[in-house]
Amino acid sequence: MMVMKMLMMLITLLCLALPCLANTCTTARDPARISVAGGSLTEILYRLGAEKQIVAVDSTSNYPPEASKLPSIGYIRNISAEGILSLYPTLILGEDDIGPPAVLAQVHAMGIDIEILTEEHSAQGIIDKIRCIGSIIGESGKANELIKQFMLPRIDELNILTKKGRLANKKILFILSLQAGSPIVGGTETSADGLIRMTGSSNAMADVAGWKATSTEAIISAAPDFIVISRRGLNTFGELDEMRLHPALRFTPAAKAGNIVVMDGMQMLGFGPRTLDAAVTLSRRFSSTKP
Amino acid sequence: MRVIAHKAAKVKNLSANQTLTLISLLVFAVAIATLACASGSFDISLWAIVQGQASALENNVFMQIRVPRVLLSGFVGASLGLSGAALQGLFRNPLADPGLIGVSAGAALGAAIVIVLGSRFGVGATLGAFLLPMAAISGAALVILLLYILTSGFGYQGVTYMLLVGIAVNALASVGIGILTYISSDSELRGLTFWTMGSFGGVTWALLVPALLLITAALLAMVPAARALDLLQLGEIEASRLGIDVGRLRYRVIFAAAVAVGASVSLSGMIGFVGLVIPHLVRIVGGVHHCYLLPGSAMAGAGLMIAADLIARTVIQPAELPVGLITSAIGSPFFLWLIFRMKKL
Repeated sequence: MMVMKMLMMLITLLCLALPCLANTCTTARDPARISVAGGSLTEILYRLGAEKQIVAVDSTSNYPPEASKLPSIGYIRNISAEGILSLYPTLILGEDDIGPPAVLAQVHAMGIDIEILTEEHSAQGIIDKIRCIGSIIGESGKANELIKQFMLPRIDELNILTKKGRLANKKILFILSLQAGSPIVGGTETSADGLIRMTGSSNAMADVAGWKATSTEAIISAAPDFIVISRRGLNTFGELDEMRLHPALRFTPAAKAGNIVVMDGMQMLGFGPRTLDAAVTLSRRFSSTKP
Repeated sequence: MRVIAHKAAKVKNLSANQTLTLISLLVFAVAIATLACASGSFDISLWAIVQGQASALENNVFMQIRVPRVLLSGFVGASLGLSGAALQGLFRNPLADPGLIGVSAGAALGAAIVIVLGSRFGVGATLGAFLLPMAAISGAALVILLLYILTSGFGYQGVTYMLLVGIAVNALASVGIGILTYISSDSELRGLTFWTMGSFGGVTWALLVPALLLITAALLAMVPAARALDLLQLGEIEASRLGIDVGRLRYRVIFAAAVAVGASVSLSGMIGFVGLVIPHLVRIVGGVHHCYLLPGSAMAGAGLMIAADLIARTVIQPAELPVGLITSAIGSPFFLWLIFRMKKL
């Protein structure tokens, strides 16, 4: 009991002593030099015309293409404290998987603002992200404009395409890649599931949670109408035809009808503004065939 | 020849060659540590720091980020090197390595629990920074306890028994890690993967000081066992006839190594190669005498680890590589070359 109490006290003390890295969406003290970790955030900053303020990006920031010319702080989950500080950022913007936590705590202790944006895999989530970044960098007007000009027309189109749940009976299988012979599929609570919901259709793998390797039988009994895969994922199968004839997929309605959609992975799963374009394209494709 | 020479030398103190090697290893470690303190992706002039002319940010980066990191890498290298040498001596097996007794696997399981389950219970980023090493050291401590119960409960048992227990503990921990890997989300899985490749990033004084105390105590407990380890090379029965309490020696070395490795791994993640190969390098240079081998492995391990971390954090700056990749990438070809050269002699 004594030990438990002491442990609780220790944990409480640590909580109090450590800086709180929360997402407040309040205007940053100085957004002049921003280091970004997260492809969607980079895209939003470019669309808000704040690209001159970016001093570094992470390896997932490949859109727009010129963003990848900026200094790279490496992979979002593995940033280096000294590396990021060497670019003298005044503000670090990160998606919620930025890490490791210990490095963030170190950087924060140096007096650098860190804003971590919560990730929600929906159109509203993207709008919230734009709003939040807009207020952090003091460009709320531009953010509202971006939402009005870019987001709302696409959301309207999606609403028309998916009116009265007409795509709800379409079952979509999202495959990340082929690993050791079994496809890794997107179940619930994945970004792929969010994308599928945005298109108004249903996830064929709704009874799996997370990214999972699946058996051939599970895929056949899921009977997907469409298979969606990223370009990089397709490379693990080889050519499109090889994928269609892959033993795990060939007996699915999607493969038989040739309903395999290939698209840029970061566009589909990055949940920046352009993910809406991906959702619209997919929705159109799903509604173009008869049930 | 070597074996006979070694037996004759065991009563003597260090030879001139060994003393010289130890001194050069120490100089090497100190030099590389100084170089590591002076370089990094953040541009700091060591001279400005010494003169007190550096800016507040430069001072902070130097004192809060770089120096703890160099210290940690040195101590982890020393702990892995010395533990490896002592365990190889104890098991009389050149393939023994600190991972063998299952302590790193226990630490890895503790770390995996926090990485995968921590985010589900709303452990924030900042608390996670402390929780991860604490869980890792608890995992290591649990394995040490398990080893103690399993090995003392069965009375006198040979070294093979100890090895088998280690293998079983390793397998047990791997199952836990496997299950956690399976239920982990994409980003948790990446976190786990990076942890198993090792890194000295993110260390703070608050985490560093307790770990350094543990490591230092454990290393100091192992060094006096050097004479006994020398005698043990004749065989366990022979050693006990020469007055060595083999049972106590075994406990001393295994538990000291377990504490040193557990404390190291909890802060650095898994770093391969160093514990296994450093003792061999040191033996090739100066002989098998443990009074020389134990401190030599500690210094060589520290020097190599600091150098590897220096490369890891500067080669693709401002990003960085996992240090475990560097130790294996520079260590293994070098080791192969040494073996090749030895064959020709």
